[in-house]
Amino acid sequence: MGLRLEHIEKRYGSEVKLREVNLELERGMFLALIAPTGTGKTTLLRVMAGLEKPDFGRIIVDDEDVTHLHVRKRNVAMVYQQFINYPPMTVYNNIASPLRVAGKSADEIDKRVHDVAEKVQISEYLDRLPQALSGGQQQRVAIARALAKDAKLILLDEPLGNLDYKLREDLRLELKNIASESDAIFVYATPEPIDALTMASHAAILHDGHIVQFGDVRDVYLRPNQVVSGEYFSDPPMNFLPAQVEGGVLAMSEQLKIPVETLQAPLMSGEYIIGIRPHHIEVRHKGESGTVDDRYLRGNAEVELSEIVGSDTTIHLKHHDTNITALSNDVGFFDLGEEVSMFIDSQQMHVFSPSGSLLASARAVRG
Amino acid sequence: MATIELVDVAHSYDGGKSYAVQDINLTWNDGVASALLGPSGCGKTTLLKIISGLLKPSDGKVLLDGEDVTALSPRERNVAQVFQFPVVYETLNVYNNLAFPLRNRKVPEDEIDERVTRVAEILELTPHLKRRAARLGAAEKQRISMGRGIVRADTTAVLFDEPLTVIDPHQKWHLRRKLKELHKELGLTMIYVTHDQQEALTFAEQVTVMNMGEALQTGKPQDLHHRPEAPFVGYFIGSPGMNLFDATPEAQGVRVGDYIVPLSQVPQGDNLQLGIRPEYVEASMDAHDGWLEARVNRASLTGNALMAEVSGAGLNFKVIVPENSPLRSGDTLYVRFPEENTMLYQHGKLATMEAAA
Repeated sequence: MGLRLEHIEKRYGSEVKLREVNLELERGMFLALIAPTGTGKTTLLRVMAGLEKPDFGRIIVDDEDVTHLHVRKRNVAMVYQQFINYPPMTVYNNIASPLRVAGKSADEIDKRVHDVAEKVQISEYLDRLPQALSGGQQQRVAIARALAKDAKLILLDEPLGNLDYKLREDLRLELKNIASESDAIFVYATPEPIDALTMASHAAILHDGHIVQFGDVRDVYLRPNQVVSGEYFSDPPMNFLPAQVEGGVLAMSEQLKIPVETLQAPLMSGEYIIGIRPHHIEVRHKGESGTVDDRYLRGNAEVELSEIVGSDTTIHLKHHDTNITALSNDVGFFDLGEEVSMFIDSQQMHVFSPSGSLLASARAVRG
Repeated sequence: MATIELVDVAHSYDGGKSYAVQDINLTWNDGVASALLGPSGCGKTTLLKIISGLLKPSDGKVLLDGEDVTALSPRERNVAQVFQFPVVYETLNVYNNLAFPLRNRKVPEDEIDERVTRVAEILELTPHLKRRAARLGAAEKQRISMGRGIVRADTTAVLFDEPLTVIDPHQKWHLRRKLKELHKELGLTMIYVTHDQQEALTFAEQVTVMNMGEALQTGKPQDLHHRPEAPFVGYFIGSPGMNLFDATPEAQGVRVGDYIVPLSQVPQGDNLQLGIRPEYVEASMDAHDGWLEARVNRASLTGNALMAEVSGAGLNFKVIVPENSPLRSGDTLYVRFPEENTMLYQHGKLATMEAAA
């Protein structure tokens, strides 16, 4: 199956929720739709599902215009952040109900329910009621119900948002495996970059109701075409530092300077915005030894807070009046208010125009 | 402020049929910021109630500065608590909310003023002091709750029970920072209960990891990460968690799957598990003698590194390599488990080791 959105626009009253959305998805694609919470992701999923009619534009499925086709006549399934199961029904009946509505035979229903239950590892709970299950198990039931329908388009709206981080880790890998055995199109809306990086084949960045970037997930991650792409598709968000090139030197502050000739992209005199991901900034305690290559911009900073996240340490810094976030790939400790040295890798900088579009990207990590 | 000790504490809610917590021997030294961390149902909230005096344990003793307070009420113990949801008097203004616990204890007004002013300043509530609490948002109300917890200078300890639950994710780091500042400025004994490892490891100098009613390990965040003393700690702390394999002893190491991990110190007996974190697995694209040959089933960026899910020698596990590694799905990878970062467990605890034959 192929799904094409053409010039989609959706308004609620005077508020424009989606504008000029164009997207073409093919069978087997796993698209991550990336945007902060509350910025139109759900609306776009509902339009794709047929739960909302666009005010303008067309939805084409396999060359057929389905814009006005009722949701029941479309072969779609949706999974929400809140675990939506039918409380009085057993897990088995929750999964079976859409199949019964579709008029499948009892034998076929039984086989499908057991197949999908095994896939999402809930076979042993089929006779229970949803409330007797943990949050993670309830969400597995909702996912199983969507899979059982054998829909050609599976829409997931932040399905792991309410689960704790260990469960999210496991379920991401499971969902990826499930999707890779399916020829359906998966669309997964999330504000979390890690969801997209672990599961998706493609990524679309939604900003202001408009898709500002779409492509292979690695390409979008490695080459954000504008500031918002880097901001949304980076955790912690990419740092954006205003910079000036003058007399052959790029400067982001008194201290943070580098000759333009050291950079890979030739930059003319003028104003720029430098984007740098937190893990491309190294932080060292004052006096800590170590070699530094010429490609690093060096500066002093004060630690606002250092936080241990997973197996990494996020360090919130203040450099003069600028907030900078760094991330180190280990579990470390920096004290509140500690003076530290900071090293920014110029080969990993993304250079944007003052209006926010990409001019030159970091040396690509092999894509 | 005081040192808090739990001695041989256990508690059963059903008259001894099952235990919510058991074998608890823990000490919180005066002025230390610490955390109780574990999944829901692990017993951390039970322990918190035992410390505050809301619950008398079935067995064991609670000591404050060496004195047995097991029979004392929360008020007599002088322990302050901050709960998941803000507890404020909606009709009072912020100043009077903060002053309430002090007036309750008949503290002189000039001392109250000094204390409230200071606490309001740290918590950035000064501009709101004259406003009614009802007019403030959830984050400000929770700051008032925290302020009420710390406003008394004579508090034994301040206990926080998942205090950031109601806070919007974007404001959380700001409050985490506030909490750390509070601790630094006031030097209070603070115990923070949460299921969120980020909150626990960021806030506390000393973290106790709990699971199924047991305190598995107490240590600095770095210790829990670098040297987990139980398989559950290795799994729960860190993302992705530790790789864990069943192991059997060999003369010069242990066998996991079809691979023998050479070790200079070997464990005795059975029921062994070997644990190694994905970031500590040494990996190479070239073959080396004695390394495990594995196939890369999938390689995905994590945002700051590359995670490879691999299988080889009958084992499935994860390996973290630098993000600019050329590794791709389908590649062959050679790995070894360096001894200094390889942990061996027996019956859920660190295994006893002997020199290899």
